[in-house]
Amino acid sequence: MIQRVFRGVSWSILAIVFAFALFAEGFTHYPYARQFRELPNAAPSTVHLLGTDDLGRDLFTRVVYGTRVSLLLAPAAALLATAIASILGGLAGLRGGRLESSILAFTDLLMSLPLFFLLIALRAFLPLDISPLLSVVATFVTLGLLGWPSSLRVVCAASRNLRQSEHMLLARATGYSNAQLLFRQVIPNLRPIFLAQFWISIPLFILTEATLSMLGLGVMEPLPSWGNLLRGCEDFGAMSANPWRLIPLLLLVITVICFQLILHSTEEPA
Amino acid sequence: MFTWVVKLGRKFAVLGALALLGALLCATMIRFAPGYGVDERELDSRLSQESRDAIRSEYGTAETLPHYYRRYVSGLLRGDLGASVFLQRPVVQLIRERSPLTARTVGFGLLAAWIGSSILGLLAIRFPNAMLNYSAMALTGFLIALPAAVIALLFVFWRAPVFLGIALVTFPKLYRYQHNLLAQAHSQPFVFAARTRGVSENRILFRHVIPLVWAPVLALTGVSASMAFGAAIPLEALSDSPGMGQLAWQAALNRDLPLLTSITLCVTLLTVAVNFLADAIGQRKSS
Repeated sequence: MIQRVFRGVSWSILAIVFAFALFAEGFTHYPYARQFRELPNAAPSTVHLLGTDDLGRDLFTRVVYGTRVSLLLAPAAALLATAIASILGGLAGLRGGRLESSILAFTDLLMSLPLFFLLIALRAFLPLDISPLLSVVATFVTLGLLGWPSSLRVVCAASRNLRQSEHMLLARATGYSNAQLLFRQVIPNLRPIFLAQFWISIPLFILTEATLSMLGLGVMEPLPSWGNLLRGCEDFGAMSANPWRLIPLLLLVITVICFQLILHSTEEPA
Repeated sequence: MFTWVVKLGRKFAVLGALALLGALLCATMIRFAPGYGVDERELDSRLSQESRDAIRSEYGTAETLPHYYRRYVSGLLRGDLGASVFLQRPVVQLIRERSPLTARTVGFGLLAAWIGSSILGLLAIRFPNAMLNYSAMALTGFLIALPAAVIALLFVFWRAPVFLGIALVTFPKLYRYQHNLLAQAHSQPFVFAARTRGVSENRILFRHVIPLVWAPVLALTGVSASMAFGAAIPLEALSDSPGMGQLAWQAALNRDLPLLTSITLCVTLLTVAVNFLADAIGQRKSS
């Protein structure tokens, strides 16, 4: 019962936050980079709901657009990671033998590497003065390309179980090729697993982007994201004087907890 | 015993092959990175063409690819990881200076995280109580939802030691994994059988449940080391702690690829070695 309540509340909060991200233009009429140079560090008012930052940019607008960047691109990266995991994992489980051992060995190797070191090494490969839009794409594509190994193990195990099932034997006997088996039998049958892995990856990518951007290696200014909005937290004096600037952190924590609660309630049905 | 030694030897051969592969990958990244071989000294209009050619030859941009790889790998074998572009110092020297601090921070952080998660996990299984279970879930859920960089900032604000930050980042994931394993083992039919025969709860936990889960828990050592090294970057960078994490961050910000790839290679080999060792010990015990 409690699980169901938690799940309901989490879905509602996520729906609100996603609506906030999708219809950003409906909530604010300022562009996210517009500077009100006469009003730096302004307190909340009816004109600027959360005040302005040290460059005079409307903080509410930046939070709304930052939510869009973080919340819409993390699922895109999760989709890429899940797609890689499903194709490689499905193929490994389906074929078995040396192919499976090689793919699993490579996956184990990637899993034992510190993801953050790999991320910053790949990010540093690109020039630091790339356009903000390119920085967003680079950040999330890198996350998607490096974030699949743990999902692959799960997909591979499920695909291996499927390999021995009767309908797969029947499909093989009918003359299905490996590609047909993968795309017509394995992938459609493992859809719930892909969905769970996709769901697990989203909060992970949101958190990683936040840390990368806080270190100046993620989404570039003036484009806002939850991560680069949190860079302001380094100024403890300004934070304690203007606690509403912690709203991006609050939003991030609540969103990640909602994802966790939904996952948890799916794992343990009431 | 002999089979185990052979397996261990095979694992270390794989580790050697990985080191070579990693080195070639690092060399490729450095060689093909945008801006390779470009030196701002070339913009100095007072320099003659000969001087500019001499600067270019320092980077070896004219040499062929196989020659470049040979030079890089033979340098590595001699313990020469090249020189840092922005610090203008040998990479080996920088790693030697910074690694003891990171080793201490990561080591103590992991120790604290393992002790904390194991005690809490055992308590949650030994004294099954909804309140304790929900509190532990809420605490670990909250900690997982905090980006490592935010934890780093909190630690700067509280002036707390960096190793505790690493412990705080690793602890929730370790706790959840250990708790799940213990809960699964604790719900096995042999536990009910032991209970009906009057075996005490402590004896069931320490003599029957823990021996069943300790091998998969041990396998987590490598992954936890990898998590801790990953957390060291934001924690050291934002806490101004002069370790390898801070060095990697500075290298990334300055696009110092020789330094960054060398640090990544060292940390990777270390975590893979820890993983292999944990795996080998687990296999030895289970065989």
